Amino acid sequence: MTVEEQIREIVAKITHVDKSVITRESTFKEIKADSLDIVQALVAVEEAFGIEIPDEEAQKFQNFGDFVSYVENRLAQQEKV
Amino acid sequence: MSLEGRLALVTGGGRGIGRAIALKLASQGSDIIVNFFRHRESAEQTAKDIQALGAKAEAIRANVGDPAKIDEMFDMIGNKFGRLDILINNAASGVGRPAMDVDVKAWEWTMDINARACLLCAQRAAKLMEGRGGKIVSISSLGSPFVLPNYTIVGVSKAALEALTRYLAIELAPQGICVNTVAASAVETEALKFYFKEGLVKDKRQVTPAGRMVIPEDVANVVAFLCSEEAFMIRGQTVVVDGGTSVGLFTLVGKED
Repeated sequence: MTVEEQIREIVAKITHVDKSVITRESTFKEIKADSLDIVQALVAVEEAFGIEIPDEEAQKFQNFGDFVSYVENRLAQQEKV
Repeated sequence: MSLEGRLALVTGGGRGIGRAIALKLASQGSDIIVNFFRHRESAEQTAKDIQALGAKAEAIRANVGDPAKIDEMFDMIGNKFGRLDILINNAASGVGRPAMDVDVKAWEWTMDINARACLLCAQRAAKLMEGRGGKIVSISSLGSPFVLPNYTIVGVSKAALEALTRYLAIELAPQGICVNTVAASAVETEALKFYFKEGLVKDKRQVTPAGRMVIPEDVANVVAFLCSEEAFMIRGQTVVVDGGTSVGLFTLVGKED
């Protein structure tokens, strides 16, 4: 499973939204994620990938794609290190 | 009042009231462990500001809503320092909703962080205070004794925290551990901006008899006193820091916004 697929699964489970409707362009509002859903998704993704996503960064996410890209970049940075 | 040589853990110590408490305790000579969860930058900045005051400080990440993370944090404190003198249960979170809209997820998230964490942290802290005594101070709000709009779960969690304070105060008294709570009205912090946005708070300046809003330092001053030996005989109490708002409620009847 790709990073994107794993994150989609986590978000779908937390928001109770079918994962087929979550695209990279989906905003959190469109997938009916409230502030608690978003925090819980961040925490679940952090634990799944062993990374840290500070709120200062998370607040910049405009849509699901931004969230995925951030995690992908962080993982790529870790590989370089 | 001196806290020279003490070691304090401030949960949610990177920002707002927690940061003010951390800085105040440090200014009195205590070394500080700044716990944070979502805001590393603020916590590391607070730790630096504490070091600038001449005290030792370090930031530790832990979600206090997760019992395993609380254990990890206290294992680290135990291994590294072998003791703890002061625990400040300040970390809080919540979902602003009317009672009819509260679901299990929002209830558990809020209660786990605001109430259960205080018990679990106190249990672990008390072990590190064994044989030396200590102070546990938790932070509550006026949403426990009074009804604030859309504040349901947070208010209930704070009521639990205040009750827990009384039980802990009696149970831990023989070990020389003083347990109290400080309850503040709306305090000018980042969290307050959120509450304004959610419509939970209007401008409190107009309803504070003391003429201004409560600031984090007002709360920190009382917390520091409760951590001092001068407060030794204060046990299980909830000390209100609200500029007179709560006792003057009936004077507001008929007053315009």
